Amino acid sequence: MNELLPQPEHDHFRAKAAASEHPRELIIDLLRAIQEHHGWVPDEGVELTAEILGLSPLQVEEIATFYDKIFRRPVGRKVIHYCDSICCWATGGEQVAAHLQQKLGIGPGETTADGAFTLLPSCCLGACGDAPAMMIELKLYGRLTPEKIDAALEKEKD
Amino acid sequence: MPTLTIDNQTVTVPDGTNVLEAAQQLGIVIPHFCYHEALGAVGSCRLCAMKFEQGPVKGIEMACMVQAQDGMVVSTVDAEAQELRAAVIEWLMLNHPHDCPVCDEGGECQLQDMTIAGGHGIRRYRGKKRTWINQDLGPFIEQEMNRCIQCYRCVRTYRDYCGGDDFGVMGSRNRVFFGRFKEGKLESPFSGNLADVCPTGVFTDKTCRFRSRSWDLQEAASICPHCSLGCSVIPGARYRELQRVRSGINRQTNGFFICDRGRFGYGHVNHPERPRTPKLQGADAAWPEALQLARRRLTDIAAKVGPEAIALLGSPRASLESLALLHDWAKQLGGARFCGDPQPGRDRAARQLTALLGSRARSLEDVRRSDCLLLVGSDPLNEAPLLGLAVRQAARRGARVIVIDPRPVELPCNFQRLSTGPEELPQRLEHLVSTTEPTDDLSTLRTLLHQAERPILCGGGDLLGEVGIRQLAAAADHFGTGLFVTLGGPNSYGAALLSGDGPDADQLCEEMLAGKIRALVCLENDPLADGPQRMARALGKLEFLLILDHAPNRLSRQADVFLPTTTVAEGSGTLVNNEGRMLSFSTVFNPGIPLGISSEGGHPPRSFSPTTAGGEPRPAWAVLAQLRGENQSPEMIRRKLEGRDSRFAGLSLLDPDGEGQRVRGGGHPAGSHDQSFPHPAPEGSLPLLVVEQLFGSEQLASLSPALDAVQPDPQVLLHPETAAARGLKEGDTIALHTELETFSLQLKLNAAMTPGLLLATRLRDTPLELFAPGSPTPCLVGKGGGDA
Repeated sequence: MNELLPQPEHDHFRAKAAASEHPRELIIDLLRAIQEHHGWVPDEGVELTAEILGLSPLQVEEIATFYDKIFRRPVGRKVIHYCDSICCWATGGEQVAAHLQQKLGIGPGETTADGAFTLLPSCCLGACGDAPAMMIELKLYGRLTPEKIDAALEKEKD
Repeated sequence: MPTLTIDNQTVTVPDGTNVLEAAQQLGIVIPHFCYHEALGAVGSCRLCAMKFEQGPVKGIEMACMVQAQDGMVVSTVDAEAQELRAAVIEWLMLNHPHDCPVCDEGGECQLQDMTIAGGHGIRRYRGKKRTWINQDLGPFIEQEMNRCIQCYRCVRTYRDYCGGDDFGVMGSRNRVFFGRFKEGKLESPFSGNLADVCPTGVFTDKTCRFRSRSWDLQEAASICPHCSLGCSVIPGARYRELQRVRSGINRQTNGFFICDRGRFGYGHVNHPERPRTPKLQGADAAWPEALQLARRRLTDIAAKVGPEAIALLGSPRASLESLALLHDWAKQLGGARFCGDPQPGRDRAARQLTALLGSRARSLEDVRRSDCLLLVGSDPLNEAPLLGLAVRQAARRGARVIVIDPRPVELPCNFQRLSTGPEELPQRLEHLVSTTEPTDDLSTLRTLLHQAERPILCGGGDLLGEVGIRQLAAAADHFGTGLFVTLGGPNSYGAALLSGDGPDADQLCEEMLAGKIRALVCLENDPLADGPQRMARALGKLEFLLILDHAPNRLSRQADVFLPTTTVAEGSGTLVNNEGRMLSFSTVFNPGIPLGISSEGGHPPRSFSPTTAGGEPRPAWAVLAQLRGENQSPEMIRRKLEGRDSRFAGLSLLDPDGEGQRVRGGGHPAGSHDQSFPHPAPEGSLPLLVVEQLFGSEQLASLSPALDAVQPDPQVLLHPETAAARGLKEGDTIALHTELETFSLQLKLNAAMTPGLLLATRLRDTPLELFAPGSPTPCLVGKGGGDA
C-alpha cells in the first residue's frame, strides 16, 4: 500500500501519455490507478500524475478535487457510499444513513476506529430502481432494510 | 450593423456585439461579473438578465450571451428581470462575509456596487457561511478566499489570458477554491492582474495591504516607465508615498493588463536614498545657488573653449519635454553636443528603428491580432513582458509563433524555436530573405510569412542592434510584414528622434578623453552604470559635471552640481514608446519625503514649515528651463516642439486618458560608426552575452523593495554540451575573465540555449551591470574563483 504505483503500470501510463495527443485525458485513469494501489491519492500521487502527463500539479488537483470518488485523504479499508439523492430519500434513505451511522458509530466523512469502513454520502448511485441503495467499494446493495445493512456490513468486514 | 432597442432607446452596433455591450454603449449599466471586455462573456454569473420582448429571441436571457440582432426590443427594467437579478445577487452573497470595513477592496469593490445595483440591500440568510484557510501566494498577492463569489475571472485571467499553469480552481459546487496546489509564489509574471480583475477582495495587492482606502489615494493616468512599451498605468499615492500601481486601459498598447515589474516596481519613487536636495560637490545646497553656479560654469566654458566643449546627455527615461529642452539648449548654446541616450548600442538601435519603421509600425493590439509572428533576438517575458502577453493572445487565435534567438526564450504559448548564435542574427535574417537556398530550415518560415495575412516581425533592440534592425526591416519589406521592435527605455524612441545623426555616447566619451569636451550635463541617467565602459575614465577629464536625476545616482556625490528631479508619477509629460506612439502622463502627486519615512511610522511631525520636507525635486523640464534662464510650462514646450518639428504634430492635444498618437515621420540613423580596433577574441574564449531579465535588470524597478523577494541570483548559463566539453558541471563556481573585469558566477546548464555561448543576466549592483546588454564580449572561463 505504500507504493504509489507499481513499475509496470508506471511504464504503461508513460507510454500511453507519450502516444496521446491530449495526455490530460489520462488524469482520472492515473489517479484511479494510484488510488487502487495506495488506497487514496496523497499529494505525491498528484505530483506523480502531473509529472507523468507533463502537466502542473495544479492541473491534476483541479480534477482530483472535482470528483468525490477520488480520495485526497486517507480512507478506511472499504468505503461505503450511501445515496442521499431524491429516490433513495423518498424510500427511506434518511433511515439508512442513520442506521449506518449508529451501527458504525461514525458520522458521514468519518472512518471507524478499526479502519474498516469510511462512510460517505453520495449523490445518486444510478440505482433508483433499487432505492434506497448503498455501495461498498464497487458492490451495490439495494432495497435496504436495517437487517440487510447489518448483513452487508458483516459480510464486507475483513 | 444590427439596430436594436434597449429601454426604448435605439442603438446600432457592430456585428458580433452582445446585448450587454450594446446596452453599455447607451450608458445602461447592468450588473455583471463574468463578462470582461478582454476576457469575453461566458454567461456564468447569471446576473446580466434582460427581458427580450420582441425580435428573434424571446424571454429572459443573459444579455452577455445574446448577440445583438436587428429588431430586438429589450428591457432591463422589466419586473421579472429585476427580480431575477436580485435573487441571483442574493445567492452570490450567501457566503460573502460582512468584512467590508477591514477589506482592502472596500470603496472600489465591484461586488459592493453590483449588489446594490442588483437590488439586494438586506441580508436574509442566517445560516453558517463556508470558510476557507487562505494560502500564502508570495510577495505580491494577498488571498482572502471567504470573500469569493466564484465568478472565475481570476482563472480566466491567469490561466486563459496570461497562460499561467500554477493557479486554478479546485473542488466543486459550493466549495470551489481558487488558488495554488500548494502555498507559494505565483509564478506568472502577470500575477498582479489578479488584484485588478477580482471584483471583490479575494485577491488584493499585498504590497499596499492595509495602507489606504481607494478614495484616499491620489490617482491619475500615467505611463509605466519600466520598459519601452508604454503601458497605461494608474499609480496611487498617499502621504507623499507612491503606494500602488494598477493597470490603466489603452486598447492600442497594453489593453487591460500590466506585468508585475510595472505594477510592483514603483518603490524607486519612495526610495530612502533618493536624492532630494541640490548638491554642490556632494554638499547640500539651495536651488538658486546651485542653478546659478551651473549656469555660470557652463557659460564660462562655452565662452572660453566654445560650445562644442559642452555635452548634453539625455536618457530614455526622461520625458520628451525635458529632452526637447535639452536638445534645444544645445542649439541655444551655439552648437553644444547633444545625445539622447547614454548607452551607445541601444541608442544606435533606436535611431536606426526611427529611420526605418515608417508605415511598418505596428501596435501591441496589432500583435494580438496577427496571424504569424516571427520573433528575432527578442525575449519578451524578460525585455518587454506585455509583448509576451500579446503574442499569447495571437497564438490563442491560431497565429503561428516562431522564435530565432540564442537564449532559452520562454513564452506563455506554443512556439517553434530556431536557435542561433548572437552574432549570427543578421546573417539568419539575410538568409531568410535570400531566395537561393530554398531547402534550408528557414524555407517553411518563408512560406508561412508569405501566406500569412497579418504577419509581424518582432525584434529586440538589444540583441539585434543597429545592423540587425536594418536586416529585420529589410525582411519586413521583403515579406510585406509589420515591424515591432522593443527598445531600451520608455522614451528611447523620442530620444532617438531628437538625436538624429548627432554623436552617440561613445563619440562623446572619445571627445571627453581627448579633452575636447570639458563639461557634461547628464539628464536622468547614470552614465557609470549605463554609459560606455570607458565613461569612468572620460569623466575624470571633465572640468564640470552637472547631473539631473531622481534615482540614487552613483555620480550624485561626485558631480560638481547635482539637481534633483521628479519621477514620472510626480510630473506630467510625454513618452514616445517603441512603436513611435506619443503617450502623455499626468501628475499623480507632488514630491516629498513619505510620511512613513519622516515620521518613522509614528505620528506625522508636529513641527510646521511652509515647505514640504523633501519636496525640493522639480520636473526636469522646469530645471532645464531655469538653467536656460527661461520661464516655461510643459504646454509651452509641447507647442514649441510641434511648431518647429512637424513630426510631433498633435503633441499638445494628447489626452492622458487617450490612446496616444504616432509621431509623423521618422528619424535618422546615427552617423557611421568607426569600429575601433575589434579585439581578436583570445583563444579558447567564449562569447559572453549579458541580457536583460524581468526582475533585477531595469534600473528603476531594481530599486523597488517590493521586488527584492524575486530578485534572481547572479548566475551564468551554458549549454550542457559546451559545459561537458570543458569539464564543467551544474553548480560549479566558474571564473569569468573579460577585458573589463574578472568575476565568478555559479554555473547553470540549459539545453534550450545555443551551444558555445555564455549567457548571464544583467543584474544591477553586480559586475554584470557594466556590460552593454545584448552585445557579446569575449570571455575566458576558468574553474573556481572568489565571490561574484
